[in-house]
Amino acid sequence: MAFPNMLYGRVLKSPHAHARVRSIDVSKAEKMGAVTITPDEIPDVTYCPRLVSVPEATYKDWKVLADKPHYVGEAIGAVAAESEEEAQKALEAIEVEYDVLGASFDAFDAMKPGAEQVHDEIYLKDDLLKVENNIGCQLSITEGDPIALEEADVVIERTYRTNRRYHNQLETKSVVVRPEADGGISVWSTTQTIHNTRLLLHDIYGIPMGKIRVYKVALGGSFGSSIHVNPVVTIAVALALKSRRPVKLSYTREEDIRDHCAYQMIFKLKLGANKNGMLAGGRLEAYLDIGAHQIQAYPLLGCIVGWWVSLYKLPYKDYVGKAVYTNKVPSCAFRGYGNPQISWVVETMMDELAGKIDIDPLDFRLKNYIGEGDLFWGQGPSVKSIIQSCGVEEILTKGAEMVDWYNRPNPEEQTGRYRRGWGVGRGYHTSSAGAPVPSSIVDFGGAILKMNEDGTFDYISALMDHGCGTQEAHVKIIAEELQVPVNKVNIIRGDTGTTVYDVCTHASRGVYSGGGAALKVAMKVQEQIRSFAGRILDAYPHAVRIRYDEETDQTIIFAEGIEGREVSYREIAETARHKNWGTVASVESYRQPSCPPHFTGYFVNVEVDTWTGKVKLLRVVAGADIGTVINPLLAAGQVHGGFAQGWSMTTLEDMPYDPIDGDLVNRGSIANYKVPTTQDLLDVDDLTVFFADTYEPTGPFGAKGIGEGALNPVAGTVANAIQNALGVRFFQLPITPIRILEALKEKEE
Amino acid sequence: MKIEITVNGRKRQFDVEPNKLLLNLVRDELHLTGTKYGCGIGECGACTVHLDGEAVLACMVLAVDADGKQVDTIEGVAEDGNLDPVQEAFIEEGAIQCGFCTPGFIMTTKALLKENPNPTEHEIREYLKGNYCRCTGYVNIINAVQSAAKKLQS
Repeated sequence: MAFPNMLYGRVLKSPHAHARVRSIDVSKAEKMGAVTITPDEIPDVTYCPRLVSVPEATYKDWKVLADKPHYVGEAIGAVAAESEEEAQKALEAIEVEYDVLGASFDAFDAMKPGAEQVHDEIYLKDDLLKVENNIGCQLSITEGDPIALEEADVVIERTYRTNRRYHNQLETKSVVVRPEADGGISVWSTTQTIHNTRLLLHDIYGIPMGKIRVYKVALGGSFGSSIHVNPVVTIAVALALKSRRPVKLSYTREEDIRDHCAYQMIFKLKLGANKNGMLAGGRLEAYLDIGAHQIQAYPLLGCIVGWWVSLYKLPYKDYVGKAVYTNKVPSCAFRGYGNPQISWVVETMMDELAGKIDIDPLDFRLKNYIGEGDLFWGQGPSVKSIIQSCGVEEILTKGAEMVDWYNRPNPEEQTGRYRRGWGVGRGYHTSSAGAPVPSSIVDFGGAILKMNEDGTFDYISALMDHGCGTQEAHVKIIAEELQVPVNKVNIIRGDTGTTVYDVCTHASRGVYSGGGAALKVAMKVQEQIRSFAGRILDAYPHAVRIRYDEETDQTIIFAEGIEGREVSYREIAETARHKNWGTVASVESYRQPSCPPHFTGYFVNVEVDTWTGKVKLLRVVAGADIGTVINPLLAAGQVHGGFAQGWSMTTLEDMPYDPIDGDLVNRGSIANYKVPTTQDLLDVDDLTVFFADTYEPTGPFGAKGIGEGALNPVAGTVANAIQNALGVRFFQLPITPIRILEALKEKEE
Repeated sequence: MKIEITVNGRKRQFDVEPNKLLLNLVRDELHLTGTKYGCGIGECGACTVHLDGEAVLACMVLAVDADGKQVDTIEGVAEDGNLDPVQEAFIEEGAIQCGFCTPGFIMTTKALLKENPNPTEHEIREYLKGNYCRCTGYVNIINAVQSAAKKLQS
């Protein structure tokens, strides 16, 4: 994107993991013609860049520019100039003096008494809180009688550590901000929510909401990294307001990798089971190494316990979750929002427990899973609903048959260089955060649908499509309801001024929740069409029928059995105009009454080279229960992509820090942060995806989500397959060749 | 430095700094923004264009090195308002999710099918290994390349 007279921004970032800015001298940069901003020129507002939770559950510790940076890469100033090159030169001319402070790069170090505090004070809603031991927020929940766990036949307790992953979305975080003549601004940014972007910019800069227009733009991947308003956006607004010129600010890849990452978690899990094959209870401690700021740590603590207790029935459950500040890049949601992490842990331990009570791991899962009719609170303790559709049994039994599960190898019998193993894992994710009662999470959307004068339709929604085919699914839902071909429904790319509120595209809610809103407007529009048709045909609106006529390419409303009483959509639209009846149109908001899990299950076959530690994929069978499948190709595509990201999480990705200078060991280079290429996965014919035959009563035409459930069980499944090949379990991700060789050596000794 | 490049079939003259990247010329001066910046270090393939018919990474080519040559970008692939068979195949096979990597994949695929009109899956995976996709797991992309090969042969 570009506008005439546009400036290019660059951001001045802290080279220190923790420091106080003693002085910033921008005079040389300004002499070069650059426009500069420093912390004291920005409104003194402390905020949270993610506005999905209600204020009472929102912790705030961010400023647009930091005068006390908390990680390498935190913005402390910015410049705008005629070109990126000039902006960079101006940036390098800024002189900064720092007082360097102590820093922590590990959650447990940070919690030790006497550790340097990342933040002394933060806000919860508008109340000032003192931070102690770097614990940003915490949550505890207990249900049931602990005796169930204490007296279980078998109890296992282990510590698990997940990796720190980078989304590596192909488009780096970018924005264009144009100041408008009325004092407002127009914004085109990488975002999963245009309305929450507007809300935050209003909160920080005090611009009346109607004068902030945030436009939908195509997003080059995101995977959760733009649920919150990205720092480039708030910074570019300040540059545009000061320069009174359009400003473009795009991060380089090296900057982007220091902008966001997934939550790294350390879990202590204790699970008990009885010899009858039933789980007795569990205790989970979760420590989130959140980095230097909170984006959505508190709701995540709720989700982690929700994900955990909604996988399997636990008569007793006890949970403590703590989000710990460290001097690292702030963590944010990444596809699955903690679910891939906790599912890896639970699915690994389920296998181990099954071995201890001598039951097949697949049968153990079938006996204990939470399914239809059960209470589900995956999205955390405040979002509860009853499961009304469930394909777990179908997925697991059909998959088992396809891979001949019960004849899988015994790990102890394998001795050669190459050893093969099968693993099973299952999981789910919520579709939206809907529920029959309000919760601490906002979840509703809206849509506008109008009939054009030629009988076609314009569909206008604020819901962002990251490339999951969400808007295409909405079009299919509308087309189905109105009985028109999909090419008669146009997607209009709106902005905050021309759409009604939608919270955000996250929580796999695009088809279920956004599609619910699309269906609601389509139903209202159909009612109006029937009403107009009734007037034209002298027929009762509720009695007329609708059919699509291929020959004329028109949808016809007709009174069945009565000759001559039929009229096309086009004729209805024309008549309504000529007779001044008005436009057929509807605007609706919609809140889903439920939070239905979409279930997934994987069977994975690997071959481990015991000389090199390399793991090769041989065969993958994936089953998914997503209710009615609206976009079969793209739904399968979600499973393919979810598997690839899960494989990458299990075997490749991590971002360790250099404790000496506090920067990433990979120095921001994706050459040192590998994700799978075409050569690192398995042949197309060796990956099978099937869908369970289910129907979700609350979903649009029976549909649920898929995006996140496609990923969640993968790490557990792959880890179980490696165990089946080698007879070794891993308690740290990623499972790299070096870790495999070390474990094999230890086993031999 | 004064250079002349034939961009998508049209001769264009430019006066560029010697360190100007072809990627920046294409995006910022020609406004052909289908060619994407993904990494700037030749890792991701999102900036793939054709230089005299060969797939190259525009972030690794200086604009001056394209002097006197022909540069084709994704914008020049469709002809007379009709999509190229490779583009059609990517749409039909659901090979596009966010779409950011798609122009690069299509340019690389076109170069592959020119060299090898009937590639095996192994050959496709080998040729496309420099193009990242974070969304699709490559499955539908491989299917699309095979489908495009069939379209071009018939």
